[in-house]
Amino acid sequence: MELGRNTEGRELRTRFLWLGGFFLLGLFVLALNLYRLMVVRYDEFTALSTDNQFKDVRVRAPRGQIKDRRGEVLVDSRPSYDLTLTPAFCQKCFTDVLPQLAELLNWDETTRAAIEARVRAAHGPQRYQGMVVQVDLDADERDRINVRLHLWSGIEIEKVPHRYYPTHDALAHALGYMNEVTQEELVRLNAGKSVERSPYSLGDYIGRRGVERSFENTLRGRDGARKEVVNARGEVMRDQPTNFPEVQARPGNSVVLSIDARLQAEAERVFPGQAGSIVVLDPKTGFILALVSRPSFDPNMLTGRVSSQQLARLSRDPLQPMVFRAVAEHYHPGSTFKLVTLLAGLHSGAFTPNTTVNCPGGYRLGNRTWRCDLERGHGPMDAHNAVQRSCDVYFYRMGDVIGIDAIAKEARALGLGAVTNLSIAAEVPGIIPDTGYHNRVTPGGYTKGMVLNTAIGQGDVNVTPLQLAVMYAALGNGGKVFTPQVVRRVESASGEVLEEFAPKLVRQIEMSPEEHALIVAALKAVVHDPGGTASRARLKDVVVAGKTGTAQVMRLGAVRLKNYQLPYLERDHAWFAAFAPADDPEVVVVVLNEHSGFGGREAAPAAAAVISKYFELKRSDGSAFGPGWQGPPVVKPAALPIVPVAPPTALPVPEPAQLALPAAPPDAGRSQLADVPGRPGLDGALPLNLVPPPAEQVD
Amino acid sequence: MAVRVERRMFTSAPWGLLAATLLTAGIGIYNLVSASRPPNHPLWGAQSAYLAIGLLAVVGVAAFDYRFIQRMAVPIYLLNIGALVALKFFGHTAKGAESWFVLGPLRVQPAEFMKIGMVLMYARFFNDDYRPGKEGHYGFLRLAIPVLIGLVPILLVLVQPDLGTALMMVFTAATLILFARVRWTVLVAIGVALVFGTGVLWNDYVRVQSEPKFTVVRHHLKKHQDGRIAGWLEPQTDLKGTNYHAMQSKIAVGSGGMTGKGWKDGTQTGLRYLPEQHTDFIFSVWAEEQGFLRCLLLLLLYAVILLGSLGVAYGARDRFGAFVAVGIAAMIFWQVFENIGMVTGLLPITGITLPLMSYGGSSMLSVMIGIGLLVNIGMRRYIF
Repeated sequence: MELGRNTEGRELRTRFLWLGGFFLLGLFVLALNLYRLMVVRYDEFTALSTDNQFKDVRVRAPRGQIKDRRGEVLVDSRPSYDLTLTPAFCQKCFTDVLPQLAELLNWDETTRAAIEARVRAAHGPQRYQGMVVQVDLDADERDRINVRLHLWSGIEIEKVPHRYYPTHDALAHALGYMNEVTQEELVRLNAGKSVERSPYSLGDYIGRRGVERSFENTLRGRDGARKEVVNARGEVMRDQPTNFPEVQARPGNSVVLSIDARLQAEAERVFPGQAGSIVVLDPKTGFILALVSRPSFDPNMLTGRVSSQQLARLSRDPLQPMVFRAVAEHYHPGSTFKLVTLLAGLHSGAFTPNTTVNCPGGYRLGNRTWRCDLERGHGPMDAHNAVQRSCDVYFYRMGDVIGIDAIAKEARALGLGAVTNLSIAAEVPGIIPDTGYHNRVTPGGYTKGMVLNTAIGQGDVNVTPLQLAVMYAALGNGGKVFTPQVVRRVESASGEVLEEFAPKLVRQIEMSPEEHALIVAALKAVVHDPGGTASRARLKDVVVAGKTGTAQVMRLGAVRLKNYQLPYLERDHAWFAAFAPADDPEVVVVVLNEHSGFGGREAAPAAAAVISKYFELKRSDGSAFGPGWQGPPVVKPAALPIVPVAPPTALPVPEPAQLALPAAPPDAGRSQLADVPGRPGLDGALPLNLVPPPAEQVD
Repeated sequence: MAVRVERRMFTSAPWGLLAATLLTAGIGIYNLVSASRPPNHPLWGAQSAYLAIGLLAVVGVAAFDYRFIQRMAVPIYLLNIGALVALKFFGHTAKGAESWFVLGPLRVQPAEFMKIGMVLMYARFFNDDYRPGKEGHYGFLRLAIPVLIGLVPILLVLVQPDLGTALMMVFTAATLILFARVRWTVLVAIGVALVFGTGVLWNDYVRVQSEPKFTVVRHHLKKHQDGRIAGWLEPQTDLKGTNYHAMQSKIAVGSGGMTGKGWKDGTQTGLRYLPEQHTDFIFSVWAEEQGFLRCLLLLLLYAVILLGSLGVAYGARDRFGAFVAVGIAAMIFWQVFENIGMVTGLLPITGITLPLMSYGGSSMLSVMIGIGLLVNIGMRRYIF
């Protein structure tokens, strides 16, 4: 008896058909839905599956090197072994791993608590990203951790490139340093997509100051990209290769400086004081050979390794190590300025080289007397003698006759009073006073006595060491004012020259061969003749031409004090500006030694040592610039590629207004340190009891 | 209990059904090799052992006349109810549900066997309660007992909580009751209930309401159940949270395409984007790696099993056999429909295994016991 056939179950038959139909309908619905997902929407889900599976990984481009003119590496990347922790994979993190790490790495309680807090604070996708717990593990620490690494999960030692400055303090201001890009910069720099430049991301380093900053885009290179297979937990499956081609990172280009590291080292070594600057440049091209700014800082410390205590110490230091004294600080030039007055006097027609002024030891104007350095007086002085002996009265007279505006015009022609357009740093323009300036700035306006102070490089005259070097280069080379440059060329990572920087001539000033000969002879006499102020700069086999300067920081009171009797910040600045060989100069050296005293004693010997080293290197290299140097470019004024120089304005970065001095310092005779804006703390820390200025200037 | 062997029993055994079952189980093991590839613990060995045990169960269940089982239906049913009650006290909790007994290395899921017990009980009831003609159609009053037969185990399973199995039991019970014929008033009532249920769903989940929201059922549900229903109705929201499974499963299936990514080459599978990929989500592995065409093949095999089961029911020698076969067919159908529907986003996500494909001893054993019953009924259709 079968159910489908017997009477008892006959009525079931149609129901079997219904049920079978229903089952088939159900399966058909499933099949239809599968068709919709797997065939119709296949592309959509394949894309999602790819998204799931691959993670884009950035391949960091190695940053370019910075080298000296001979190829010696000044800035490079070194491996840093960083300890990273991935919170999501770190098991028994707080009970086992972190306490053990704390013991191995000698963390104190606050460090450990800070790290713990960071690990706890990670949420969501952050938990799958490694966080750097400690940078720069030394070999010892690495060993200690490696032994235990297999016991922990989520802990790794990663080898990452880190910027390294093997020269440490030397050249630091010119090279710059790096630190993390800020949130605000991220938004600004990544705005506007560029194919050539890869975007910055949080945690990236960016160049600060110097070449690192100005050549950021050159040095940076372009990041590559690679896809990695990740599983659902975000773990990278290293054993599963992807078929996507890796986009290679393009390494950053190298920047080759005109600096000679050996000459730089010598300049650093011989710098005599605590604070100041040495500028060495090639008067034929304007390229800088060495650039000292003291005190300095270590970029290695500032590049992501600085502690808040170190930073506080840097910013509290009354000598302000972060200030680039060669370009971003200006000083009274003192007697080094007298050649400007001399040229202006000769150009005025009122003076000839043979015009004689009698020096009785002082110069009377109205009812006041301006003293000469030599109280008993120099006697009759012509141009040559006045420069050689640095007679103030001669230049008082000259200034009195030709006026302050003539001196200012000459000074501006020589490149003073305006930024030099050195591309790698923010500069101050210095101050060249004229009647307009004094009417604007000085209470009571311009008075006749001001020209006397200006004529000897005091009063309101302020120059940077670099400006003075450019000026002395022009004096030595017959009147060619160059834009100083520190970068010679840009090379690709493989050494191919991508861009070569040519000398930039700003202008040829008015200077007859006779005037040139007079100046060179007088400056030679300063060093080599008896009675010159810089006999300490004499060298055996090279004829040096130079000029000393002793710039008063304080106006003198009635009592004349010896330098050592003054507080440090009130002492005189010592200057020495020189070029050699005198008749066809190859090298210009300017030494500024802050608050040290007499230029002939405190600055000239260092300049002599640098010049001596220059010629020693020249002899040992066979040429001035070592192997690979195709001889100095032949500079004929006509053939020279003259790059038009924009009217001197301060560099756009950073805000020029912040660095350039305001046109109206409240009391231009005061210590400059106290006057420079953006240097807070000094006035408070070292009160300068200013004596009301009696109108007397002495060198 | 008489074990009588006759030649006719072999010729009338449902060989097609058995072949389809074995083929599906074989495909299941092949698929498991890929689903549990390193670094996962390989599971295909254990699954093969379960299949072997299952085959023994088929032989065991088919060996003696099912009229003996008919006599034992009530004790079997009560024993299973007892097991479910005992689960409340001795059960092992995993993944938020008390669904397992732990016996040494074995974990037994009583709900899997309850399904069979319920089907047997229904068959026994509808066999004994037979009235010919229109008289036999069930009205509301006479439905009290059949509803109770289903309601007790379903509630016990629901409180574990195992929504998937409970739902599948509801559908199976409903299929059996409808198959036993009901009056048109009952049909109307069911229709009204469906409309009402849809209305509740619409009110609780779809309708945009201002706070405080008026809900009928929603606030009684557990949070994960609520999330799944909400996620099912709005599949594009919260893809990292409640809809993670649904989305990842759809990605796996959809990215399989026409021909699949290849055995052991599924990326969603290999990179473990789907938890439970070897049990409830096993179909996504098959779809991702084998593609649409082989999914159709799998559905075809299920169709053979289902129609084979109905064939057995159609040819059964008595009403009890017919109802057991229909019940088992319904059980397999609803499980397949619910599972694949869930994996492909058609239905909300509930925990339910895919017969013969999912890894698991209890699931395999309960399906094989069902197959054993079908074989038993089929081979004895001419034996009286």
